[in-house]
Amino acid sequence: MAIADGPLPSGADEYDVAIVGGGVNGTGVARDLALRGLRVVLFERNDLAFGASGNSSGMIHGGVRYLSSAPHVTEQSCRDSGYIQRIAPHLLFRMPFLMPVKSSRQARVMFELIDAYFRAYDDYQPLKHGKPHCRLDPSALLQLEPGLRGSIVGGITFDEWGIDGARLCVLNALDAMEHGGRVYVHSTVETISRAVGGGAADDGARYVVDARNRLTEERVRVRARVVVNATGAWSPITAAVGALPQERVRVRPGKGIHVVLDRRVTNYGIVSETIDGRQIFTYPWQNVSILGTTDDDYYGDLDDVHATSEEVRYLVQGVARVFPSVRSARAIGTYAGVRPTLYSYGPNEDALSREHDVVDHTADGAPGVYSMIGGKLASYRIFAQELSDVVAAREFESSTPCSTHERPLPGGERVPDAIALAERYAVTPVAARRLVYRHGSIAVRILERAARRPVERDVTCPCEPVLEAEVRHVVREEMACTVEDVSRRTRLGLGACGGMRCAARCGQIIAEERGLAPREGLTMARAFLVKQGRSRIVAMGPEQARQEALALAHMHASLGET
Amino acid sequence: MKTVLVLGGGVAGTAAALTAARGAARVVLLDGGTGASTLATGALDDAPWMQAPRPIDPVSTTARVLLDALAGYALPAAGALIATTAGVLRPARGHDRALLDLAPFAGRHVGVVGCDRPEWDAAAFARSWGDGFTPLEATVLRHVDERMLPAADFAARHDDEARLAWLAERLRDALARAGTRFDALLVPSSLGVEAARAQALSALVGLPCGEAAASPGGPSGLRFERARDRALAAASVTRATGRATRVERHGERWHVALADGAALEATAVVLAVGGLVGGGLEYAPGEAAEASALPPASRPPFRLTIDIPAAKLGAHGRPLETPGSLFGIPPESLAWPFTPDGMMERVGVMVDEDGRAAPTLYAAGETVADAPRTWLRALDSGARAGSAAARDALTSTAERPPSPSARPASRP
Repeated sequence: MAIADGPLPSGADEYDVAIVGGGVNGTGVARDLALRGLRVVLFERNDLAFGASGNSSGMIHGGVRYLSSAPHVTEQSCRDSGYIQRIAPHLLFRMPFLMPVKSSRQARVMFELIDAYFRAYDDYQPLKHGKPHCRLDPSALLQLEPGLRGSIVGGITFDEWGIDGARLCVLNALDAMEHGGRVYVHSTVETISRAVGGGAADDGARYVVDARNRLTEERVRVRARVVVNATGAWSPITAAVGALPQERVRVRPGKGIHVVLDRRVTNYGIVSETIDGRQIFTYPWQNVSILGTTDDDYYGDLDDVHATSEEVRYLVQGVARVFPSVRSARAIGTYAGVRPTLYSYGPNEDALSREHDVVDHTADGAPGVYSMIGGKLASYRIFAQELSDVVAAREFESSTPCSTHERPLPGGERVPDAIALAERYAVTPVAARRLVYRHGSIAVRILERAARRPVERDVTCPCEPVLEAEVRHVVREEMACTVEDVSRRTRLGLGACGGMRCAARCGQIIAEERGLAPREGLTMARAFLVKQGRSRIVAMGPEQARQEALALAHMHASLGET
Repeated sequence: MKTVLVLGGGVAGTAAALTAARGAARVVLLDGGTGASTLATGALDDAPWMQAPRPIDPVSTTARVLLDALAGYALPAAGALIATTAGVLRPARGHDRALLDLAPFAGRHVGVVGCDRPEWDAAAFARSWGDGFTPLEATVLRHVDERMLPAADFAARHDDEARLAWLAERLRDALARAGTRFDALLVPSSLGVEAARAQALSALVGLPCGEAAASPGGPSGLRFERARDRALAAASVTRATGRATRVERHGERWHVALADGAALEATAVVLAVGGLVGGGLEYAPGEAAEASALPPASRPPFRLTIDIPAAKLGAHGRPLETPGSLFGIPPESLAWPFTPDGMMERVGVMVDEDGRAAPTLYAAGETVADAPRTWLRALDSGARAGSAAARDALTSTAERPPSPSARPASRP
């Protein structure tokens, strides 16, 4: 590892722990350590939840697939799902699933096996406040989900929980900040080096982290005793920045895409199989339906992951086999992320371990540097706790126990009644309901803002809907810097109109809040529209083509060609 | 009877009908409902506008005559500069007269009239449009429902003389209170739809007043429809409402079947049914054909929504082909932002210089392949097709040699 050039500027901020990566692992660790009283700083190259965390299936599941191979993982997942419900009750929603069993030679046997398997899973359901599974005959199945087709011998139900992964990251980061932490978004770490005079086992800072803001080109230099690499699929890249051996943090990036439909097309989540026998899901999620997901080795640019029409067709084909009307549903977009799966050469993507691992880089000559490898959204809290336990005990001799499973995330102390808020603050019940979903008790603060300045009650994004007050809130309080950042935090522009009605206005608001030239707001709006356009085209069917042509004409008419 | 039948009541169809009527043919215009023209923002383009300035092309005499017939549109010799509610100042070849042309006010002081409506933020616009724009606090809303009323409906309330006078009074009050001198005022979408009331308001206020270009779906589209209805009535064009389902040749004449079971006969037909936005064309990838496992056949990715065996679709100067995939061509190859100028923006009926797709069958506006999707080009192509169709209708009794089959237009 390199030595920082020259003595440190005295102004360089000093922290206990510098965390690289603003996904669910990085923000989870930042919160955990901050709650233990340590001073943390976090750097995120893009935006919070930019990678896998913000592009997952949006589920806190109980790890049902590990039931036979590693039941302790299932138990731990279910228990943690219960904890996450406790700390962010506003952010979770029940997701009941149906698993139809198609007729085949072994269908009856399969059905009995599945039934028995889920009977075993039922033992863990109380840990996550889930309901036990039900066994359904074909007519009951059709009654619940009339769109199911094909010859079905029966099915079972099982219960999981949905979550907005991007909000989960933002809330963890906000809570870390409330407890003294500092978060730099859009700031890429350019070097991690040894501090001059550091390295001895004193309590001074051992590392210097240099970062550059990719939007403003501002540079930041901090000193920290411990550095945590929590950059998911980017882990080997981050390791190289710190001159650490990449082999030690090797991952096998697995790309997964989802297709978003314009509305909730099913009552329940539906399990189906792809042509190569993989399980995929179609499920109502917030106010849309989602089809997902794929799992393919990824060799592309991690900063620019997007779905292809090939992948979309593969998914749609798999769903249409049991739910054919999906072919005429209107896809309004896609999203894609890359899993940081633990490296292994040989197995199929699906067979790779979803486990996680803490790597201590002492052996690489970098004591106090740790990497978090692997992991899943559903197990983020326990992973963060594992790493924080090690860091707190080994590096800071701290015995403060983890409290992330007990202390509510910001807004999670209490879930206010949305309908009452709608009446009190004269906003539509739908807007109030969505606001409470995203912000919990903080929704009241946002509505208070709007009450002081009534124009902020205007609906900036009518699809979701998002109030102007919420856009301003996420820019001021949640570190949103661009239209895309606002979208990630509020779902602005992710509805049927694809940002046509809200992107330019959102750009104006951001420019105003951040004191930028208005033209920069429009540039951000355009960048968002391009990204959304690209996410939609790959799933474009006849129903969407006309809307797409209109979006294009609108772009030309209002923003002009460049 | 020698009839020119125009399918479509947008800009291109209207231009075709008015031109054919001038050619002394009997003209029937069949209108299937609102299309892309209704989404016009009020800024008229020839080539798609770019942020960088470029030379102004002259507008054809035919187009000028048509614009006069429609009334309510201006074509300043040097082009116009229009403010949009997306927060930009854009060049335009012409404009709906309700819009304020900012070209004469460069370096002058323009007031942006405040109004508590969702699409209007005077302070943000003033900042966004740049130097010379200042918000002006004024009362513009008169009734409680007007805050959330669609822009076009709000504008329509100002067709009433008394209401417009009320607005003028509020603006004069606001100007007096402001104390600063303004050279012009940009007002929210509030200048009527029956006719553009910018001149009337300007006269009452004593300052040039006009709107900014709204998002699609604003009042400008409604103003076009009203102007069209007046112009077609004045030209004695027969109006019919309905959707054509099939257009086929019966000897020397065209037989047009309608969705309600009725049929029309015509000597010449102009297709001005719009493109993908207007509903004249649809995207029909192979994979959507069947819910069963394998689509039955590969087919071209686009088709006309009316069954017209005589019309051939193409893009980029070539006819559409069946793709080498049963699941359709990859949509990435069709459109922005993967492919600038992709097939989605170019696909249409292939025509010759006169807009002829087949003998006595014409296409105009966004129905045409490789034509820029702009207001003035729609007007121009409609006029060309209408005039040629009228000639066909008037000479149809003569024995005519068979025309060569349709070729792609030579212009890109």
